[in-house]
Amino acid sequence: MQEHVQLNSKEVNDILLKDVLGMPKWWLPAVLFFLVVFLAGGAAFGYMLNKGVGVTGLNRPVMWGFFMVNFVFWIGISHAGIMISAILRLTQAEWRRPLTRAAEVLTVFSLTSALMAAPLVHVGRPWRAALWVFPYDFERGVWPNVRSAFVWDPSAVMTYLTASTLFVIIALLPDLAIIRDRTTGTAHKVYSLLCLGWRGTPRQWKLQAVAGILLSALVLPVFVSVHSIVSWDFAVQVGVEGWHSTIFAPYFIIGAIHSGVSAVATVMVLMVWLYKWQKILTPDHLDAIGRLLIIVATIWFFAFFLEWVFALYTLEDPELALRELQVFKHPWMALFIVFLITAYFFPVPMWMFKKVRRNMFWMFVTTISVNIGMWLERFLIIVLGLARRQAFTFDWGTYHPSMIEILMVIATFAWVMFGMLVFAKVFPLIPLFDIKEGMVGGPHKIKIGRKEIPASIHE
Amino acid sequence: MPSNGHNGHAAEAVVLTQAQVQEDLQEKHERSRGQTFRVAVGLFSVLLVLGIIGFILRVVDGVSDTAKWGYYAAAFAFVLSTAGAAPMVAIAPRIAKAHWPRPISRSAELFSIVGLFNLLVFIPLLWVLPPLEQGRRTLWFFGSVGEPVPNYSPHIWATLAMLALVVVGVLLVWMSALPDIAALRDRLPQGTRKQKMYAWLARGWKGTSAQWFMQKHRLGILGAFYFAMLIFLHFLISVDFLMTLVPGWIDALYPATHVANALQGGVASVMLTMVIMRQWGGYKNEIGLDQFWGLGKLLFALSLLWIWFFFSSFIIFWFGKKPNEVSVIELFIKGPYLPIFYAEFVLTFFFPLVFMIWNPIRKSIWGPTILSIAVLAGTFFGRIRMYVASYSVADQSALHAIETVPATVMPGIADVFIVLGVIGGSILTYLLASRIIPIMSIWEKKEMLMYEVHRPLHRIHVRILGKPD
Repeated sequence: MQEHVQLNSKEVNDILLKDVLGMPKWWLPAVLFFLVVFLAGGAAFGYMLNKGVGVTGLNRPVMWGFFMVNFVFWIGISHAGIMISAILRLTQAEWRRPLTRAAEVLTVFSLTSALMAAPLVHVGRPWRAALWVFPYDFERGVWPNVRSAFVWDPSAVMTYLTASTLFVIIALLPDLAIIRDRTTGTAHKVYSLLCLGWRGTPRQWKLQAVAGILLSALVLPVFVSVHSIVSWDFAVQVGVEGWHSTIFAPYFIIGAIHSGVSAVATVMVLMVWLYKWQKILTPDHLDAIGRLLIIVATIWFFAFFLEWVFALYTLEDPELALRELQVFKHPWMALFIVFLITAYFFPVPMWMFKKVRRNMFWMFVTTISVNIGMWLERFLIIVLGLARRQAFTFDWGTYHPSMIEILMVIATFAWVMFGMLVFAKVFPLIPLFDIKEGMVGGPHKIKIGRKEIPASIHE
Repeated sequence: MPSNGHNGHAAEAVVLTQAQVQEDLQEKHERSRGQTFRVAVGLFSVLLVLGIIGFILRVVDGVSDTAKWGYYAAAFAFVLSTAGAAPMVAIAPRIAKAHWPRPISRSAELFSIVGLFNLLVFIPLLWVLPPLEQGRRTLWFFGSVGEPVPNYSPHIWATLAMLALVVVGVLLVWMSALPDIAALRDRLPQGTRKQKMYAWLARGWKGTSAQWFMQKHRLGILGAFYFAMLIFLHFLISVDFLMTLVPGWIDALYPATHVANALQGGVASVMLTMVIMRQWGGYKNEIGLDQFWGLGKLLFALSLLWIWFFFSSFIIFWFGKKPNEVSVIELFIKGPYLPIFYAEFVLTFFFPLVFMIWNPIRKSIWGPTILSIAVLAGTFFGRIRMYVASYSVADQSALHAIETVPATVMPGIADVFIVLGVIGGSILTYLLASRIIPIMSIWEKKEMLMYEVHRPLHRIHVRILGKPD
C-alpha cells in the first residue's frame, strides 16, 4: 500500500471519474442483487400491511422490537457524515478530504433507512403518519402532543435529512460541473441542470466555501439534537427500567459516532477494494480514523460504565433485576458478551497497533465488528427493557423476531448499499475539488535534519 | 516579512532565531520578580491568612454539621475544577499535535502545582463527609450488594485519586520543564544555591536524542494518565462527596457535567493567565490572537457542551416527575438557589452563546477574556449551588428522596474568609511556582521555529506547518 501520491488535476479527474463516466463489471450484478433483497423486504412489508403487525414477533410486553432497534441503529450510522464533514472541516483536519462525501452520502441513505424502519414500518399503519402533520379530528381538538418525544422525532430527523442533503448538494456543485463538461447528450443536459450554472468564478467559490462552513456550524446542533431526541424516546419514560437515565442522550450520541465513524472506515476500505482508489485513500487516512475511533470508543465505554454504575446505584429491585437479566440469564447473557467483545474489547485493543490501523483487511474486520456490537447494544437496551417479567402482569411473553422482521431489517442494509452504489455511479464518491485543494502547492513536507515530515498550509 | 498573525491580521512579531528566543525568554523569566509580582504575592498571602482564620472559626463549630461546610466544599471543588482542569489546555492539543498552544502550554501545566495546595484543602473534608455506617448511599454499595465494604471507602478512594492526580500533575510539569530547567542550570553562576537547585531538578539533562525521545514519550503518557485521573477524580468527588448526600438524586450524567464544567473553568483560567502574562508579564509578542482565538473557540464549544449536559439531565427529571426527581429540581434549580442558578446559567452559557457567535468578538483578545471571567464566575456560582445545597440536606439516610427541601444557606464571615483564602492560596501557589519554572515553555517555542515555514503560493504567502508522526 502506498502513501501520499502527488497528483495533478487531470489525474485526479481521471481516477475519480472513471467509474462515473464508465461502468465497472461488478456494478450491475451488485446493484441488482441489493435491489432484489430490498424488494424482498418490500414484499415482506406489503404482507405485513395486508395481515397486520401480528405477523411480527411483537407481543406484549415487548412491543418494540427489530424495527425500533434498526431505527436507532441507522440514526446512529447517520452520525458519520456530520462527524467527518462538519467537525473535521471546522477543525481543518487535512485527512478528512477523501472521506467527506462518502460519509455525507452514508448519512443521507442511513436516514432514509431509519425513516423506513420507524415511522413507516414500526407504526404498522404508515398512512397515519400524515395525521401527525394534519391532525385528524379538528372537531374534538385532537392534536399531536408536542410534549411527546414521538413528535420531536420526525421533526428532528427530517431537519437532519434536509440539512445533510443540502450538505451533499453544496459540496457536489463543482464536481457536477466537471462531469457536465465531460458528458454529451441527455447526460450533459441533466448535469448542466444539476450544477446550477457553476462556472468556477471566484465569487462562486467563495459562496460555496462560506455555505460549507455555515452549514457545518448550523448542522452541528441538529446533529446533537437528533440522537438526543431519539434517546429521549426511551429515557423520558419512567415505566421501563433501564431506560429512565439522564446519561442516555450523550450515551446515544457517542455510541452513534462510534458506529457511524466505524461505518465510514468500512466504506473507505470498500472504496479502495472496489474502485482501486489507493492513490487517494491511503493507509494514512485509515490510521487517522483508527486513532479517532480509539478516543470515541473509549468515551462511549465510559458512558456505558456510568449508565451501569448508576443503574446499580438506584438500589431499586426492578432495575437490579433487569441488569441481572442482561448479564446472567440465557440467551441474553451470550448476546451481552458478544456485544461487549465486538463493540469494544476486540476492536479497540486491535487499533492500538499501528499495523492494524494501516491495514485494510483488519480495519474492515474491526469496524464491521463494532457495528455488530452496536446493533446488539440497541437490541439489549430496547428489547430487554421491555422483556423483563414484572409483577402483577398477565403477559409474560418474550420476543422472537419473525422472518418478516428479519427480512425487513436486511432490506434496510440492502437499501443503503444499493443507494451508495447508485450514487457512486452517478456522482463522484470522493470530492474532486477537495482532493485537488489538498494537492495545491505540491506535496507538503518540511525537512527537519535528515527527516521529512508532513505539513499543511495555513493562511 | 512573514506574517505571525491570523487570517490576514497584521504581523505582530518578527521571526527570531532559536538562540534569540532562548535568550529573550530566559531573560523575561529572570526579571519577572518585580514590584508587581511582590505586591501580588503580598496580597494573596493576606487572603491566605484570612482563609486560615476562617478555617479556624469553622473548626471551632465542629465537623458534625455538614451544612456549615458547604462553602468550604464549594471552594475546594472550584479550585479542583479550574486549576485541576487547566493542564488539559496543554495536554489535549499536544496529543493532537497542534502548534498554537505552544506559548501557553507551560502556564496551563503550572496549574497542576496548585493541586498541592488543594490537597491540603481537601483533608478536612475527609472529617466532614459522614461515614457509610450512618446510612447514606455510596458509590461503593455499602451493605447493599454482597459483603459490606469498609466504612470509609469513599474517603480512602477519593484520597488516593487526589494524591495520584497531584503526583501525576507535578511529574507532568517537571517533565515538560526539564529542558528549560537544564538551560537555567547552565546559565546561572556555578555553585550558587539556585544553580544547585536547578542542577538537581534537571537530573543530568544534556539534550541527547535519547533524552528528547524519553521526554516526549513520557509527556504523552503522563498527559493521558492525568486526563484519566482527572475524569476519575471528578467522578468520585461528584458522586461520593456530593450526590450521595442528597437522597434520591440519581443522575448518571452528573459526573460528566462536573467534568465539562471543570474543563470550561480550566480553559477560562488559562485565558485569564494569558491576559495577565500579556499585559503585565512582558509576553505581548509571544501570546497573540492565535492563542486567544484557539482557546475562545474551545471555551465556546465547552459552554455548549455544558448546557447540553445540563439540559439532558433536567429534561429526564422534569418529564419523569418521580418524587425524588421533583425534590432534586426543587433543591438545585427552582427552590432556595434559584438566583444562583440564574447567575450560573447566564454567565456559563448565555453570555458565551450570544457573544461568541460574533466573529469580531471571538477573534479578539478582550472578547474571550471578558467571557472567560464570566465563565469563571459562573463556574464558581455553579459549585456554590450544588455543594452548599447538597451539604445542607439534614437527613442523608433516607433511601429514595429527601423529605424536606432545606432553606438557603447564606455565607457567614468564616465562609467568606474561607473562599477568599482558598482562592488566594491557589493563586499564591501558582505565582511561587512560576518563580522556579519558566511560565513560558522555551523549548516548545524554539521547536516551533523548525515546524514553521513560509512559502509563496501563487500571489500570496502561506504559512506551512509541519506535523510530526
